[in-house]
Amino acid sequence: MTLPVRAIAALVSLALLGGCDGVQSVLSPGGRDAQVIATLFWWMLGGAVILWLLMNGLLVYVTRIDQRAMSQRTAEALIIGGGIVFPTVVLAGLLAFALSEMPRQRDPGTGLTVRVTGESWWWRVEYLKDGATAAVVSANEIRLPAHQRSEITLNAHRVIHSFWIPALGGKTDMIPGRETRMSLEPTRAGEFRGQCTEFCGESHALMAFGAVVMEPEAFDAWLAKEAEPAAPPEGEAARRGQAIFNAEGCGACHAIRGTAATGRVGPDLTHLGGRVSLAAGILPMTEDALIRWIRDPEAVKPGARMPAYDHLGDGDLAALAAYLEGLT
Amino acid sequence: MQFDRRSSLWHMIAAPIAWSLHFCVVYGWTASVCARGWDAGTARLGIAIATGLAIAFIAAIGWHAWKQWDYLDDFDYEHDGPSVEDRREFLGHAGWLLALVSLIGVLFNASPALFISSCV
Repeated sequence: MTLPVRAIAALVSLALLGGCDGVQSVLSPGGRDAQVIATLFWWMLGGAVILWLLMNGLLVYVTRIDQRAMSQRTAEALIIGGGIVFPTVVLAGLLAFALSEMPRQRDPGTGLTVRVTGESWWWRVEYLKDGATAAVVSANEIRLPAHQRSEITLNAHRVIHSFWIPALGGKTDMIPGRETRMSLEPTRAGEFRGQCTEFCGESHALMAFGAVVMEPEAFDAWLAKEAEPAAPPEGEAARRGQAIFNAEGCGACHAIRGTAATGRVGPDLTHLGGRVSLAAGILPMTEDALIRWIRDPEAVKPGARMPAYDHLGDGDLAALAAYLEGLT
Repeated sequence: MQFDRRSSLWHMIAAPIAWSLHFCVVYGWTASVCARGWDAGTARLGIAIATGLAIAFIAAIGWHAWKQWDYLDDFDYEHDGPSVEDRREFLGHAGWLLALVSLIGVLFNASPALFISSCV
């Protein structure tokens, strides 16, 4: 290999390895189900490598090292043993393992149900703790307690989507008019990332979400806070931002509990500033990103239903962003 | 025994046809049962019946092919001569192997019903 080729190969393998260690990798598991899938993957990869070496070693052996004719008995043993018995046994074993694992990964959750609805192109999220009468409404972020299995019920509005947090477990399709379900059992606190995995329209690739796993006590505290109405705006800019929010009619589509804004068309914004990301996982939760989004959602997310507010001046947009960012 | 060339060809592919029919019936039946919201036990019962029938049929075909191959008679598995016996034994040999792989296929197809007991 020449040096540039070697350098490129090294860079490519680095880039590929980098994909294994991210917040959205089944090979960097943060949940029981993903752990099982990752273990199975490594076993199968190891087996495939060994088989590849054996087959090619055999090929080299019979064509280069020992070219004498093989006895018929050996040849038959190789064909029947290696060609029929071995793959049948290995595949039956893998099949039995995978099939016995499938119902376990779909065990009913205990304690918490998260209802997720796929919208174009964002996620409506509702939390329902056992015994609670009303759901806590949120959007574009999934929070789960660690060390317990939570139930996830899935719906879709108008078009199909698919719900997947690779680091926590498998994926399940979301189908309009039909409720599907899954469950997840995170094993460590951390920030992960989920992604829509069924093509659903022009911004399918931009339909992601933050997935935050918290220790159970921290989760309970967070959920209690999430259930509360929004705190009144603090500071001159934020108060002006709220006035602009109301004047521009944002509340027709968005709800901010505790205010006059009760729209259900778009994502609930009650605790928007407390989320790890904006616009369904594609922008950071910063004032600049909020301004960029409100000014022209279409530029960030093609096909987004939210209209552009580019008639607002920089000062007004900054005030609006300050208000929204303060909704923690 | 008079060797019937036409029926022998059919015998050779009967087992794979049974495998494919079993596949369609099991998948179609399970989808129908679950779509109607019936009990998953109904689906498993149907799969068990279809699998039992398929195994019985494939076993019969396999036995027929084994007899036709007549391996234990002469331990002959090369059938490349231009004779009626070679042709008969070749079709029997091929039919037996196809019955074997069909049996494995049917068992693999049916195995989810052993592990998964609900539609959702």
